[in-house]
This record gives sequence, C-alpha cells and structure tokens, in this order.
Amino acid sequence: MALRSDLAQAAIGLAAIAAATAGACAADGYTLFVAAIVLLTAVVGYGLNVLLGLAGLVSLGQVAFYAIGAYAAAIPVLAGWSFWLAWPFAGLVAAGAGILLAVPALRARGPYLAMVTIAFALIVEHGLVEWKALTGGANGLMGILPPTLGAVPLSEREMTWLSAALAALALVGFTALKHARLGRAMVALRDAEDAAQSIGIRVVPVRAVAFALSAGAAGLAGALFAPLLMFVSPGTFPLSQSILFLLAVVVGGAGTVLGPLLGAALVGVLPELLSGLAEYRLLFFGSLLLVVLRVAPNGLVGAVAALRPRRAGPALRPAPLDLAGFLGTGARPTLAVEGLGIAFGGVTAARDVGFTAAPGRVTSLIGPNGAGKTTILNIVCGFYRPDRGRVRLGALDLAGRPAAAVARAGIARTYQTTQLFASMSARDNVRLALPPGTAGPARVADALLAGVGYAGRPDAPAADLPHVDRRLVEIARALATRPHVLVLDEPAAGLMRAEKDALAQVVRTIAAAGIAVVLVEHDMALVMGVSDHVVVLDAGQVLAAGAPAAVARDPRVVAAYLGTGDGGAGRARAARPADAAPVLAAQGVTAGYGAAPVLEGVDVAVGAGECVALLGANGAGKSTLMRALSGLLRPIGGRVLLAGADVAREPAHRVAARGLALVPEGRQVFPALTARDNIRLGAWRRRGLGVDVEAELARAVARFPRLARRLDSPAGLLSGGEQQMMALARGLMADPRVLLLDEPSLGLAPGTASELFAILADLRDEGVTILVVDQMADLALGIADRGILLETGRVVRAGDAQALRGDGALVAAYLGHPSPPLQPHEAEPRVLRPHPA
Amino acid sequence: MLVLSALVSGLAQGAMYGLVALGYHVTFAVSRTVNFAQGSAMMLGAVLGYVLGVREGWPMPLAVAAALALCAAFGLLVERVLVRPFVRRGSEAWLMATVAGGLVLDNAAMFAFGKEPRALPSRLAERPVEILGLGLYPLQLVIPVVGIAVAAALHLLSRRTAHGRALLAVVQNPTAARLMGIDVGRAVALSYAGSTLLAGIAGLLIAPLSSVTAEMGTLFGIKAFAVAIVGGIGSAPGVVAAGLAYGVVEALATALVGSSWTQIVVFAAVIGSLALRPNGLFGAAGPRKV
Amino acid sequence: MDRRPVLHRRALLVALALGAAAVPAAAQDPVKVGLVAALSGQSAKSGEAITRGLQVAIDEINAGGGVLGRRIELVRRDDESNPAKGLVAARELVQREKVAVVFGGIDTPVSMAIVPFANGAKAPFMGVWAAGTPITRNGAAENYVFRVSAVDELVDEALVAQAARKGARKPGLMLINNPWGESNEAGLKKALAAAGLPAAGIEKFGNDDIDMVPQLARLREGGADALFLVANVQPAAQVVRSLDRMGWPVPVVSHWGPAGGRFTELGGPRAETVDMVQTYSFSGRLSPKGEAVLAALKARYPEIRTLSDVTPAVGIANAYDAMHLAALAIARAGSTEGPAVRAAFYEIGPYQGLIKTYARPFSPGNHDALSREDYIFTRFSGPEIVPLTD
Repeated sequence: MALRSDLAQAAIGLAAIAAATAGACAADGYTLFVAAIVLLTAVVGYGLNVLLGLAGLVSLGQVAFYAIGAYAAAIPVLAGWSFWLAWPFAGLVAAGAGILLAVPALRARGPYLAMVTIAFALIVEHGLVEWKALTGGANGLMGILPPTLGAVPLSEREMTWLSAALAALALVGFTALKHARLGRAMVALRDAEDAAQSIGIRVVPVRAVAFALSAGAAGLAGALFAPLLMFVSPGTFPLSQSILFLLAVVVGGAGTVLGPLLGAALVGVLPELLSGLAEYRLLFFGSLLLVVLRVAPNGLVGAVAALRPRRAGPALRPAPLDLAGFLGTGARPTLAVEGLGIAFGGVTAARDVGFTAAPGRVTSLIGPNGAGKTTILNIVCGFYRPDRGRVRLGALDLAGRPAAAVARAGIARTYQTTQLFASMSARDNVRLALPPGTAGPARVADALLAGVGYAGRPDAPAADLPHVDRRLVEIARALATRPHVLVLDEPAAGLMRAEKDALAQVVRTIAAAGIAVVLVEHDMALVMGVSDHVVVLDAGQVLAAGAPAAVARDPRVVAAYLGTGDGGAGRARAARPADAAPVLAAQGVTAGYGAAPVLEGVDVAVGAGECVALLGANGAGKSTLMRALSGLLRPIGGRVLLAGADVAREPAHRVAARGLALVPEGRQVFPALTARDNIRLGAWRRRGLGVDVEAELARAVARFPRLARRLDSPAGLLSGGEQQMMALARGLMADPRVLLLDEPSLGLAPGTASELFAILADLRDEGVTILVVDQMADLALGIADRGILLETGRVVRAGDAQALRGDGALVAAYLGHPSPPLQPHEAEPRVLRPHPA
Repeated sequence: MLVLSALVSGLAQGAMYGLVALGYHVTFAVSRTVNFAQGSAMMLGAVLGYVLGVREGWPMPLAVAAALALCAAFGLLVERVLVRPFVRRGSEAWLMATVAGGLVLDNAAMFAFGKEPRALPSRLAERPVEILGLGLYPLQLVIPVVGIAVAAALHLLSRRTAHGRALLAVVQNPTAARLMGIDVGRAVALSYAGSTLLAGIAGLLIAPLSSVTAEMGTLFGIKAFAVAIVGGIGSAPGVVAAGLAYGVVEALATALVGSSWTQIVVFAAVIGSLALRPNGLFGAAGPRKV
Repeated sequence: MDRRPVLHRRALLVALALGAAAVPAAAQDPVKVGLVAALSGQSAKSGEAITRGLQVAIDEINAGGGVLGRRIELVRRDDESNPAKGLVAARELVQREKVAVVFGGIDTPVSMAIVPFANGAKAPFMGVWAAGTPITRNGAAENYVFRVSAVDELVDEALVAQAARKGARKPGLMLINNPWGESNEAGLKKALAAAGLPAAGIEKFGNDDIDMVPQLARLREGGADALFLVANVQPAAQVVRSLDRMGWPVPVVSHWGPAGGRFTELGGPRAETVDMVQTYSFSGRLSPKGEAVLAALKARYPEIRTLSDVTPAVGIANAYDAMHLAALAIARAGSTEGPAVRAAFYEIGPYQGLIKTYARPFSPGNHDALSREDYIFTRFSGPEIVPLTD
C-alpha cells in the first residue's frame, strides 16, 4: 500500500496508543492492566506482521517467543540483573531462538511451516516445565519486581506507558521496515519467490531476518509482560495464545500498519467485555470471531480501506533515460551455453544444447511447444541444475548456481506468465531491483518504466495492471538490475499487434544499449524482425541456427511449425455434409483473465456432424475460446449455445453433462489412476442411464491399438502419444454432442500425430461433431471441413479448409509477415522512447 | 516387556492418529484446505456415541451409526460455513475460521454433554486378556486392525467404485474432473464429510479406552495434524504410516525416556523430520514450475 | 459491555430526578463476592462445584437477611486455568466490581499469580480448592490470603501415614505432570524423608495418556509395595485400569483427585480399592447440616439426582464453608473494606460448618482453616464415596 496511506495509519495508530494509554491511566487499575496487556499483544502482533504480513509465513508458535522473552528477562532479574539490561538481553535471546527456528522452518511452506511452529511452541511449553532448575518448573517463577528508575520502582501507570512506548516503537519500526528495501524484499519473496531471486534477493538471509525480527519483538514484549504480572509460568503461555496472536493480525489486517493494533484491541478487549458470561465466555468469543472473520475476511483495515475511494496518482510523465548510461559501459561478457542436458524422471527435456548470446545482439530461441526452450532458460537462470553442460558468462561458469547468484552475476529475466510482486506498485517492482544505493530510486524506476513504454500510473498496484503493462513492468524490473544479459521468455504472448511492434522497438533499443538479449518467442513476426541470430529447438535439441531469414526458409523449421501434412492424416472427406443446424455456437463471446479481454466478440459455429479447425498463432486466443466454450472460463459477454441452450453462465461440469467433451491441452490425465479408470471416468455424465460402460470402453479402446496393452498402467506412466489417445478415448466415452480437442498433437512425434489425426478422420466420417485446435495447421486443416483463423482475439478469416490450406495469411499468422515492418537495427538512438509514433 | 507393551498401545494410539490425520489428508488433497476442527469432530463422534448410546439408551449399533452420520453432517457444515465463503473470496481466513469453529463446538459440547469425563462402555475394554505376558484389553488389538482396515477400505472404495474414482480424479486434476462432468464443489463438500466421519470413527473407537470429554479432541487434533504433515499431507499411505510411527515413537519415548519428556521428544522429531523432508516423509515436491 | 454500570447510572439519574436522596441506595446495593476459577476446559466441573457450594451458602445467608443488611451477590470469572487470565479477572473483580472477597483458584499457579496482587491491593482472597502450600504461606507481612481446603504438604504427610498404616515400606509415586503433581512431588519426598521411607521411584504421566503400564512397570521393578497417586479422575482411572491389565494388586493411596468425578465408571472395579483423602463426603450418615445442604443443592440444581451427581464434593463443601466464614468476617468487620475484613477473619468462630465445627478457623499464624485432623480417607463404593471405617 502506498506510503502516504501507511503514514496516515501510523499517525492514527500512534495517536490511538497515546490516547488509550492516557485514558487507561485515568481509569481504574484493572483497565490500566488490560491496556498494558493489549499494548504488549500489539507488539507481538507487529512482530508477527513482519512474518505474516510481509514475508507471508504463518507462525502458529509465536507464544513461544513471548514466553522465551518473559523467562529470559525474569531469570536474570531474579538473579539480580537490572531490568534495563535484562530487557534487551531477552529480546536478543528470543531473536536468536527465531533464527534457530528459521533453520528447519525455511524449507517448509504453508501447512508444513505451520506445523514446525506449532511443534516449536509445544517444545518450549514442555521445556519450561521440565527445565526446573532454571525455570521453576510447572509452577514457574514468582516475585519478579518491576523495573526501577534510580531506586524507585515503576508504578503500574509507568509500566503501561513503557508498554505504550514499546508498542509505538514496534508500529514505527514496522512502518519503516515495510517501506525499506528489506521489507520490500520480504514482500517480493512472498509474492513471487522465483522472480525475487532473479533480481538477486537471497531467500535464506531475508527469511531468517523476518523470523528474527518477529521473534525479537515477541521477546521484548514478553520481557515486559513478566514484571507486569510479577510471575511467569508455563500455563501463562498456552498454544491457544499463539492462535490469538495470529488472529489479532489476521482480523486487524495482515501487512497493514494499523492492523495489529486494531486486532490486539479486539482480541484483548473483547474477552474482557464478555467476562460476565463466565463459563459461556469462550463460546461467545469464538462465535463473535467467526462473525468478524466473515465480515472482514481480509482484516478490518482492509475492509475499511475498501470503503474509501482510492485516490489515483498522476500518470507517468515520460522521463527519458540514458539507458546505456544507466546500464553502464565497458566490456560485457558473452553468454555461452555449451552441451546442456537435463532429464526429468527419465524423460529427456534437453540434449546437448549449445548457443552463444553476444553483447549488443538479440539471440532468439524458437521452436514448437514442448521443444525445451523454457527448460533451457530455467537452467541458464539457475532454477534447474543441468545434468551436464556449462553456462558461461565471461569467465564464470554459472551452471547449477542458485538463481539469486546468477542474477547477481548479471543475468536478468522475465517470465512466460508474468511474475510481478503483485502487492507492490509498478514503481516499487522496478525500484526493488535497482542496485542498492542508486540515487533517486523512484525517479530512476519511473524513467525505466517510461523507457520500456509503460504509460500507466507508476503507483498502480501490479496486481491490477493490464496484461501488456505487466509485461513491460517485468522488463523494466529486469533492466533495473543492470544486467549483462536480459532473458525474455515469451514477452509478446497475449499482446496485440501494435503492442508487439512497440515491444520490438524496446527489445532493439535494449540490445543497442550494449547488453545481450536472449528471446524466447512464438510470434515469428517479432522474432524475424528483431533477431540477429535465431536458434531453433525441437524435442530438446538444436534443429537449426543462423540468421533469421535463413532459418525461416529452412524446410525442417517450416515442417516443425506447420506439420508436414503427409501420410494418411490429411485425408479430406469425400463430401462435405449439408449445412446442419449448429450444435455449438459462440455468439459475440468476449472473455479473458484480467482487465484486458483475450477474446473480443468471437463468433464461431459448428454444425452437427461437421469438423472445424480453429487456427491461429500462440496467444491468439484459441485455448481461451476452448475454455470459454467448455465452461472452464466464464465469458464476460456473449452467448455460448450448446444444442440451442445458452450455457455461457454454467459451470464446466454442467456443460459437460449437457454433452460437450473437451480433450484439453496437455492431455490433463489423472496420473495415478490407470488408463482404464481414466477412460471410464469419461462416461461419468452418463452414469445411471443404463450404459454398459465396459462395452463402450472396449469399443473406444478398439480404435487405439497402442492403448489396449497399457490399460492397466497408471496414466502418468504412459508416453505422450498414449496419453493423448487415452484422453481422446476418455472424451469419446461421454458420447458427446460435440468433441473439442485442444492441441492434440502437442509434444507428439510426427508419426504419432499423423496416427492421431487419422483416428480423428475416422471419427469425423462416423458423424462425430468435432472442433479442433492445433499448432500443426496442416494436420488440422487436412481433416477439417472448415477452418477459422483467430488473431489477437478476433476471427480474421473463416472458410473452406482446403482453400485456407493454401492461404498466405495462414503462413503469415504462424511465421510472421513476409515483409517485416521493422527496419534492421542500425543507428538506434541510445535513448529509450515510450512508444513509436 | 516395557517395549512390547509400548508397541501395542503405540500402535493402537497411532492407528487413531492415522485415522484423524487421514481426514486432514482427504480435504487437503481435494481442496487444498484443512479443517482445523478435526479434533472437535473426533470429540463429537465420542460424545454423540455416549449421549445416544448410553444416556438415551439407543441400541449401540444404531447410536454409532447416528453419531457417525451427524459427524459427517458436521463436516458438511464446516465446509459450507467456515471454508467455502473464505475460499470463494480468495481469503485464507478459513484457517482461523475452522479453529474458531472448533472452539465453539468444544464449548457447546461442554454444556450439552457435561463437564465430567464419562465412560463409553465396551465389552472389549472390560476384562484384560493375557497375550505374550501382557495384559491387554481386546480393544487395544482391535483398534489398529480396524484403523488399518478403515484406511484400506477407503483406499479400495476410492479405487474400485465409480464415485471413489471420481473423487480421486478431483484430487489429481480438478480441471479435467470438471470436464468429465464431475461436480467439484460437491466433491469438496463430500471430502469434508468424509474427513469428519473418519475423525468420528476414531473418537468412537478410542473412547472406551480413555473416556469421553468435551475437550478430548484438542491435543489429539494437533497431534493428528502433526502426523498428517510428517507423513506428507498429500499421501494417504504416508499419513497412515506416519500415524502408526508417531504412536509408536510416543509410546516408546514414554516407556524409555519417561512421560515428562514424551512431547518434547516427539515434537522435536516432528521438526527434525520436516527439516530433512520439508514436504513430509512421503510427500513429493515435484519439479519446480517457473 | 456489562449492563450493570449503565443501570447504576440510570438508577442514579432516576434517584436524582425524584430528589429521593433519602433512600439509602448504598444500603440496597448487594455485597459482591467474586469467584475466579476454571469454568471451561478440563477443570470446568470443579469450577461448577465451587459455584454451587458458594451459591447454596449465599442463598442461605440472603434468606437470613444477608450480611450488613445487604444481599450477597456472586460475580464469577473464568480463568481458563491460565494464571495471566486469572490475575486479570481478579483485578477486575477487585478494582472494578469492588468485591469484598475473592474466592478462587482450582489451579495452584493461578492462585499464586493472584496472591501478590491480593496482598498488594489489600483484597481478601479465599482459596477453596488449590492446595499448593505457599498460597497461604506466602511470606507477606500483611497476608490477605485465607483458605478452606487441603494443604499439599499436610495431605502428603497424611498420604504417607496412610500408606505406612497399610504396611508400605517402599512406596512409588505416580504423579500427573502438571503444577499440582510437581507440588506434591516435593511434599511427598519431604513427608517420606520425615517418615524414613525410601521411594521406589517417581513416575509422571499426562492428562490424556491412556496407557500407564510403562510407568507402573518401572515402579514395580523398583520394588514399590504401595503407590501414591496424584491425578484428576480421568488419568487416575487410566492408572487403575493399567494396574488391572498388569494384574498388579498393589495398594494405592491417592490425593483427592479421583473423587472429582465418576472414578468407578471410568476406572472399573479396581477403582474401588483406592484410598482417597477427602475433606468431606456427602455419603453415609450425614449431620443435619449435611442433610440441609444436600437438600438445598437438589432443590436449586435439578440436574442433581443421585449422590454421584454431587461432585466434586470437596469443592462444594470447601466453598460452602468458606462463604459462610467470609460472611461472618464481613459481618464482624461491619464493612467490606479489605483490611477490616482481614482483621475480622482472625476474630470469627466458633462456627458450626459442613466439614467441621471451626473453633477459631484463622489466626495470624495460620491462614488455613482445615488441618491434618480434618482429612478423612475414603473409598468409592459403586458410584458413592464412603469414609473408610478402620
């Protein structure tokens, strides 16, 4: 949240602390005491807020640190130490315990981490009982006197003011941390751990500090709690108290400045208000908590903030940046990848892959889906450890080094699905990646954003950004690390044509500034337009490499993209069926995932018994349309008619029950079930209709001789081709009105793909209504009656399949326009411009 | 003899941890959420068994059936009221909500059932029999058998029946399951009913050996959660195995180190095992998706 | 928030409006007494018993015109067995509710947390359950803590004497692993040393444990010829069931824990062989006072049907007598001011109570109304607790 809002919250919080303490001092001793306890609870809450609200780690064992602090103050005080010495000592002991816990806790996440912290709290509770010599055992330690100032012991009023001072300190400290680099690093790790590492944030020290701070705060509070109560005993620190601490933060609003204070007041005062209920108190307390959680599931502060209209900051004013100056000049190392190989679970994903990316040049990695491009990027960037091979950056060999180390060595990257720090603003995303000590970081961040063409508000939360802006912010963030090498993973996916053109400019400009750019991209127009060197991968191996024009002409490359269309697969049907009433129709369907729709007003109709091929480049919206038709994605607008009924608002399982079967992209098998059980599940919608499932299964399997042998293997162990056949058989078991296939040939060997399409042709001839999406356009058009071409979310061409097959527009859609609109890179100005005119 | 006796009672206790932990596993596998009122559900099984079978005098089989049905209904209620509304809004407050729900149920049970521990009579826990020089209640031997049998039956039901397979399908791939026409929302609700049912069975089985109280589930629920986590909450056999191991380690620690150190030893073992295997003994991390 | 203060204010306003200042409003205000005890959780039943004992006594007092011409009103708070919550509750009762006496404490640590506050705030604190020795022997110059209950050290001496009477030469200790067990560990060791008896071993167990065979087997190997048992009814029942399974007929002498519930229902026939120390039992031939209290209990709490519902009897009896003694002290003090009431505690007596006739229950040197002579040994017979006759 914005600094201004947090400062306002901090001011309110400090005023509230002062007012409440002053008010309590004027009231009776009981009120004073409750106030002190609430304030100490708030201190623990702020500590926990570091862990939960910033680092995103759940601790159900916070009471253990509170207890450790209390004992670590009580024991020395009873031994004659001054409280003023024992107090910081207790904080340090607790912080040390926090680091100790961080060791086993760092690798654990979610419920696993919760359990580690619970176990820790229970060990501390029992340890306090058993370590009698030090802790006094189950009956605890008595007679802890209040601290003295001079020779005068502090009164209860002064103790409460001391608690208030500590709470104020915690509040201010938390606010400062939240807006400091360290706090942002914690948030970054929470929001997108991989991306955080790839801007050089190290997981272990940052999380360990989060644990230490949160434990230290609890320890300091506990140290004050002991003389306030004048005793400590294990029963004072039950595990349920941990839950109350966590509750205070959650109910107040995790990550907010005011949240822990509000939450502490609620969990501290509410039980006191209910104390007259005697034995019924816990019952009512529990019920009231449920009500509060239901009303404000993301905390009271969040609920209040949601009511207030957000004041939007001004849009970005383009501030030109000398990118080359920012990135620094001088000799830059070349990235050289040599002989990389990696296998997952016995399946080879990359074999002997090598290429170089020189400074000042754009090196593109292309290839069909599943060719291993992203795998290579992940090795280069330190997310995978290769089985063999090297990743050289100048003299360094980075293969197998952790991601943060690779980032610090100078390789920055973006992600296929953008990984922004969602809770931060666009500006803060970039700012965090700047090298520490950068002067005027906000200004530099804004300039970088403007430089890559970001024209939105720099203070907009990253989570709310439209797709194209997310891509741009990610690029700016990568640049902010001042890398030697910038790795872009499908930056153009989901972008509109004009946006892609602008992106191309940006990519060229970045390269012109002197760093090496490695680009993985499906959009051939973009690749052909910006690349100096193109490496084609297929099935984990380098298929071809060279200048863009040469590669584009390479028949092997064309085959890998379009499919060869040879063999029996392309068997067209003798006679097209007469136009029938559509079984499935999309009418003006608009759909998408965030602010920007991926599909805009798409009309598609599939007649009974018809076979239709849906074509388009990656990111054109084909899969989105499939998801919208099948109910997996609810369209924003338009109608989806299935046998005449509008199913656009129905959930997927209802749409399936009405007779639409989607064989989804990537097969989506149930890996631990046998192939037989997978196929049986296809008939789920027809259960109770007296269908002889076993007979149908036999019939369906009869089409796939390869499958018959593997029926009793777990589906996860089947080969890609077998899985695809199984998924198809599973779809057929539904006896669907219409069968949708999303990328059935994906990742299949050409022979297997042909085999599969031959089966589809059989089905078509038997009268099954089919809508198929496939990268292998030739294969799909080979069996289709009609073809529909999608580009950037719209239908750009529709017509007879055979006619489309020879259409230049199709090739253009896949491999880019024959005449790229971009000039080769020459005298690019060394200044980034927002948008090309 | 110490060790043998510890083994027997450890297995009995561990089988019950396993059953309750299996409940955590079921909801986690299906919906990535966990019902932290599992311990309370276990208490509910025992308390209802006592109230219906002893206080109301119903025939025991009927009382047990009714108690288990009500346990399952409690699971449905938890999912509907304490989990679904939060998951829908993308909030993780279901964690707190189920904890608070357990608190409410425990305290409500205290008033409805009574504040004293009561005994749930069972012919299998009246007279000890001597086996291998140990005096044992037959129930102590029956419990692990029943526990493992229930887990095995669950396994078989899920593999061999259409509905079981549908549930497994949801576990393994919810999207694809929806495409098969399987109602995932209902599967999640069913998993909650199943999880509290398992807890109820554990409560009814263990009650004759211990006693029936309104807070019998609190610590038990935490231990069972530890079992689920240590076993790898996504793996059913892992969870059951971890349950048995936990029970045995606990009993051995009591027998060999002394009861006061039991919890320290056991929870240190929990932390140690998670430090070594952060996804549980039988959990798989899977390749990292970037 | 409590509605009471609001009502007060409203009453005050009405009184002012009517100009009816002549009505002695203060005299109409009840004398409040507080209770801090575990009303929820594992000890809820004990908290309920204390409540009932206090309430029956309060009903009697109010029926007789109250104290200082005012009714007595009981204000209860749940401490959840957590010392910090107990301390907060005691502060509320004293500083906000202005109670004349705080009753309380099932758990010794909770009472120990309240003791320094009570002494500092000059608020009389009357223990009716927790038996920790230092609660009353707290070393304060002006001690505001009184007790009508057992005292662990004295109980432990009685337990050792009882075991010795049964011929024990080397008893073993079976203790619950909580503050109460810890307190008795010290007391029993001291008492055994005083009696010149060695201990066969000291074993602990948890409240939820259901198999105590390992601990018992170690004691048997250590040569134990009798067992001291310190635990509440649920784990105590598991101890006798484990003994039953082992087939070990060792005599068991127990603190009063098992009497707090249905020991025979939970523990089986072996439970009837355990000797338990008690301050009071409602079984057998009762004194007229006992009959009257029992009748009053049954009348006020219809869920009490049989004697086994009157449980834990010690909680009811201690609280009943303590309330009457406190009322006498307030009456003698003529005020509800702490120092006056404290001084009056030393002056009351004799009073014919439920447990015994208190000649002079408290003196500056003795803040415990019950002493060793007041402990009786009992056994369960079926659902009832009967005094041992030998």
